[in-house]
Parts: sequence; C-alpha cells; structure tokens
Amino acid sequence: MTKHDLNYSYYPGCSLHASAREYDESTRGLFHALGIGLVEVPDWLCCGATPAHNVDELLSLSLCAKNLALAERVAGDLAVACAACFSRLKATQHHLAESETKRRQVEYAIDGEVSFAKPVKHLLEILATDLGLDRLAAAVRKPLAGLRVACYYGCLLTRPPEVPQLDCVEAPTIMERVIGAAGAATVAWSHRLECCGANFTLSRPGVVLKLSGDILASAKRAGADCLMVACPLCHGNLDIRQKEIEEATGNRFGMPVFYMTQLLALAVGVAPSKLGFDSMIVNPLPLLREKGLV
Amino acid sequence: MKHTKMQLSTETMNLGFVRKVEALSGSSVRRCFQCGKCSAGCPMRSFMEHPPNRIVRLLQLGQYERVLAGRSIWYCASCETCTTRCPNKVDLAAIMDALRKCSWDARGPSKESLVQLANRLFLDNIRTYGRQYEMRLAAVFNLRSGKLLKDFMLGPTLLTRGKLKMFHRKNRNIGEIEKIFSRIEELRKKGEAP
Repeated sequence: MTKHDLNYSYYPGCSLHASAREYDESTRGLFHALGIGLVEVPDWLCCGATPAHNVDELLSLSLCAKNLALAERVAGDLAVACAACFSRLKATQHHLAESETKRRQVEYAIDGEVSFAKPVKHLLEILATDLGLDRLAAAVRKPLAGLRVACYYGCLLTRPPEVPQLDCVEAPTIMERVIGAAGAATVAWSHRLECCGANFTLSRPGVVLKLSGDILASAKRAGADCLMVACPLCHGNLDIRQKEIEEATGNRFGMPVFYMTQLLALAVGVAPSKLGFDSMIVNPLPLLREKGLV
Repeated sequence: MKHTKMQLSTETMNLGFVRKVEALSGSSVRRCFQCGKCSAGCPMRSFMEHPPNRIVRLLQLGQYERVLAGRSIWYCASCETCTTRCPNKVDLAAIMDALRKCSWDARGPSKESLVQLANRLFLDNIRTYGRQYEMRLAAVFNLRSGKLLKDFMLGPTLLTRGKLKMFHRKNRNIGEIEKIFSRIEELRKKGEAP
C-alpha cells in the first residue's frame, strides 16, 4: 500500500496502556497497514475524565489544556482513541474559546498559553473523513462478510451536540458506515446510544449490571453476532462484566465485544495475533472461525 | 417517592445558592418549564430519589438542602442525554457538575460516599502518577471502602489477559502536573477562581 499524506499526533489515554491494551495495539496495527502516520504525544497525562469535571471544572479544563499544549510538540491533528478523552479534550477547547475568564485561570494553572490550533479528532472521523470510506474499502483484503455487528456509540462520541460534532447527535451512522466499508452487516437496534453505566463500575457496579445488561439484551434481540465499541470504559463494562451480568440476569449472551479498530485491522489484513483477541474476556475466536475470518 | 409538604418563604428559599449554581454551570434553571424530557431519557432515573426534572424544580424553589443531601446528584452518569434533549437549552449535565462541586467543596453533606471516594482516589492518582494506575485505583478503593473482596475473582483473569499492569511509572513531567494542582489551590485561596 502506498504511503498516504496523513500524519497525526496520538493521545491514547490511560486505559489504552493497561486494561484496553488491545485497542492501542489494533489502532497502531490498523493505521500502519493504512499507511497513516501516528506519533504518540510525549509525556501526556490523564485527561481527568468524568471524576474531574464532576467536581472540579477548573482542574478538568487545566489537565486537558496541558495535554493540548503537549500535543503541539508533535505535528499533525490530534488523533484520540478513547471516547471519554475525546469528549473532554473537545469540551475544553469549546469552553475555553467561550470564556475569557476561564481561559485566564487555566493559563495560570498550566503556566502557559492555551492552544486551540490543533483539531482534535476521534479515530472514526479520521477513517471516515480524512482517509475516506472509498480508500478504506479499497484497502480491505478480507471482507467481514456474514458478520452481523451491533455498533455501540454510548454517550460521549456524539453528545452534547455542540461539542464533539462527530455526527448527528440522535441518529449517528459513522460507525455503521466505517464497518460497512469493511464488508460487515450492521443491525438496527434500540440501545446503541444508551449509557453502559460508565465509571460506576468502580463505585456502584450494580448500576453497570443493569444498564449494560439492557444493552447486551437489545443487541441479542436484534440478531447481532457481536458488539463494536470505541470506548475503553464501555468495553470494560460490556466485556469484562458480561459473565457477571449473565449470572445476575439469568440471560446467556456470549457476545464478543470488539474495538472497532480490531475488526477493521482484521479486514485490512493485519495478523490476528497482533490484535489482542487473547485479552478479551468473551472469547471471539469461535465466532471469527465460524465466519472464516481467522 | 414520598411527597412531603414544602413551606415556601424567604427563610426557606435559598436563592443565593441558586444564583451560584447558575453562575458555575453557565445555565439558567429558570428556563425549565417541567416538560420532563430530561427524566424520560435519563438512564440513571431508576437509581435516583429525585429525577433530573425534580432537581431543577427544587432548585427553582431554592431547596438546596434537599438537592445536596440526597444521592441523586452522585448517581448522574454525565451521559449528557438531558442536555442534548432539553427544548429550553437548560444544560442539566453542567448543573449536575455544579451541584456536585458545591457538595464536594462543603465536604460531603451527601449520603453517597462511594462515588465520592472513587472520584477522590481517581484525582489523587493523577496528582501522584500523572496517568491512571488502574490496579492501584481498584485496590485502594476496595481497601478504603471496606469492600475487600469486590471483583476479587476478576483480578487473576485480568492479569492473565495483560489488562492489569502491576507496575506503573510516574510521568517524567510529574512536577509540572503537581504545579497545576497547587496553582489551582492558590487561585482558590486568593478567591480568584471558584
């Protein structure tokens, strides 16, 4: 494959270095196969995620502004994998552009200027818009034919309307379009924008059992073989807690939960051994074998 | 929900608090006409004693103790569905953030301690390490909450899948990160930031 002129600075986020290592591995594998450059921002720090903005807006804005400043050291728009980091970084640009007072406070806190120059982009946006669906489809070596995917957006890829501006806030199609370009079939289902229970997984896991249980049941009802996500927290709740949800609800799902980059990388010919399928709790290999994909 | 009588008077209504929440959130509570769309779409509705639209109504009536004392504000998942759907552009998710900040700064008049503990440990991790140290976060949470065996069976599974990192290095720029925290504290001490 020829080299594209696409190069990005990369903010993986904390989870991608630990519990979501397969999201990081498959992102790097996919981008390499597509000839898209990806250089990790040096010394990036936690974006603060939900706990920071929940109780301390100034801290949340400052942590993200510091990351945006660090990202200036690397060329290219900022590619973000985690839906929550993406949301926080975009929200920070949005709020600081609106408020002179907040911007001054943040600039004092980070001891530097706030930079707005660099566009922050989710991986989905890079694939669907910057690369384009035609070029993505042209790179497919192993079409995901026969795989019925339930695309799960969760909360932060699209909401609130003014901030991420990734796609239509109530009826997005970007995930379906991207995975459709790789030859997969997508199902229409009810819970693709519902919350999975997010970070209650630490403090109140009962919340996750209920909300993620409803999501899995909805995907199952729609006839999906698997779920596809773009957020490490959603993945943890739907994959790691799936067995516990089955025990609590008496339902049997056995539903593999893929990061979108895992499925796309598989389709463009990256070796399955490089996509972290072994780190998923619900084993995806029987399904992938049945569909002739591994 | 048990309905209790509410006596409204200048003594029982704290309108200064309402103005503070409006300033912090950048959103008006007075625009709400109680259509209930926020609560209809709220995924956490069944866990709350006051659904989102009632939180706004209580705020309109200056009933801040009722709002802060309950668990509802800590059971908001910040999914932003309410903010997205409000026909009057009330930014309920931002109002929830503002209420949590008020409760947090007042050192917890709320009954909900576990969510607050998780938040505190998460933020402490950033100050100490720069990035989240997931295993330490879970371990210290269990220790401090007294739920020692919570998710005990998940530990070995996650370790063998390479999802738990035993060791975690501090960021090289941890000094700059500490400076962010201390400068924010300094701004607050001088009254120059909320």
